Amino acid sequence: METLAFSILQSFYLLLLQTPAESRLQRFEPSLVNFMMVSFLLFIIGVAGVLSRRNIIIIFMSIELILNAVNLNLIAFSRYLQSSQEIYKQSKNITVSPLTGPVFTIFIIVVAAAEAAVGLAIVISLFRNRETVEIDEIDLLKW
Amino acid sequence: MFQLHGWEALLFYFLAFMTLVMAVFVVTARLAIHSALFLIATLVEISLLFILLRAEFVAGVQILVYVGGVMVLFLFVIMLVQTRAEEESRVKLYNSQSVLAYIVAALLAASFYFAVYPAQTAFRPPDNSASAAVAEEGVAGQSGTGLISKDTQNVGEALYRQAALPFEIASLLLLVAMVGAVWLARTTKQEKKGYE
Repeated sequence: METLAFSILQSFYLLLLQTPAESRLQRFEPSLVNFMMVSFLLFIIGVAGVLSRRNIIIIFMSIELILNAVNLNLIAFSRYLQSSQEIYKQSKNITVSPLTGPVFTIFIIVVAAAEAAVGLAIVISLFRNRETVEIDEIDLLKW
Repeated sequence: MFQLHGWEALLFYFLAFMTLVMAVFVVTARLAIHSALFLIATLVEISLLFILLRAEFVAGVQILVYVGGVMVLFLFVIMLVQTRAEEESRVKLYNSQSVLAYIVAALLAASFYFAVYPAQTAFRPPDNSASAAVAEEGVAGQSGTGLISKDTQNVGEALYRQAALPFEIASLLLLVAMVGAVWLARTTKQEKKGYE
């Protein structure tokens, strides 16, 4: 039993020795996939909020979360594309424009601001007429 | 290949974790005002992630427009429409389809996992040092001389040279949204006044 445990420990130690210290650390350095994971989890949290909450203002905030997830994805892709722009050009003859990401992000922010302004105006006029902000009580257009 | 090293990598994991935790709090908070404050924290952390990605201009716009503009709008509307009903614990926070919503979200997460898992190795930085040197040079050329980043200049040039027409359309959209918001949020007294 002891020899088994010792051999397991020894094999772990040998594994650690075989991989150089740099690559061991590099395995935990974030790459594009990690940014995609963050943005996708943010997107999923936003979707869950939109589908499950009753308060219309919190639903609006979840929509803002979704838009921010998209922004994060666009910026991460543009940055990782920018640093490998030359490689793409040399090896695959593809010309990429890394500035498309920030430009799109700025337009998304503009559209989100406009959407929030109009949406919250609708919320105010709805509250004035119906005295509620709960979406399952606003069912005038339901058959 | 662009790569975060050392403390930047640690900072990324910290910011990512805090962003997700705050986002969960946004969705689950009982009061809308708490939700708004957690959303401010999320937005600030996302802008810090933008700074980690060397997109300083977008980070500044994020702080100015979202935290300074949109969130103030949210807080004003919460102040105007608060019913104080959520402070009582018997009020339902979630609608009847919430379990279904969580199932849909979990399915989305699973689909993302199965889509990314086979492609994961493709996103790893290439090992050959020649292309890495080229990439480093490209990044250094982009960041300009000294400590001042050229990101703002690049984005501004792209906005005015390649995206000038969408930029103008965006300003028109903002004008329309402003007029529409003012028009929608009138009181009945103001409405009658307008028709006379």
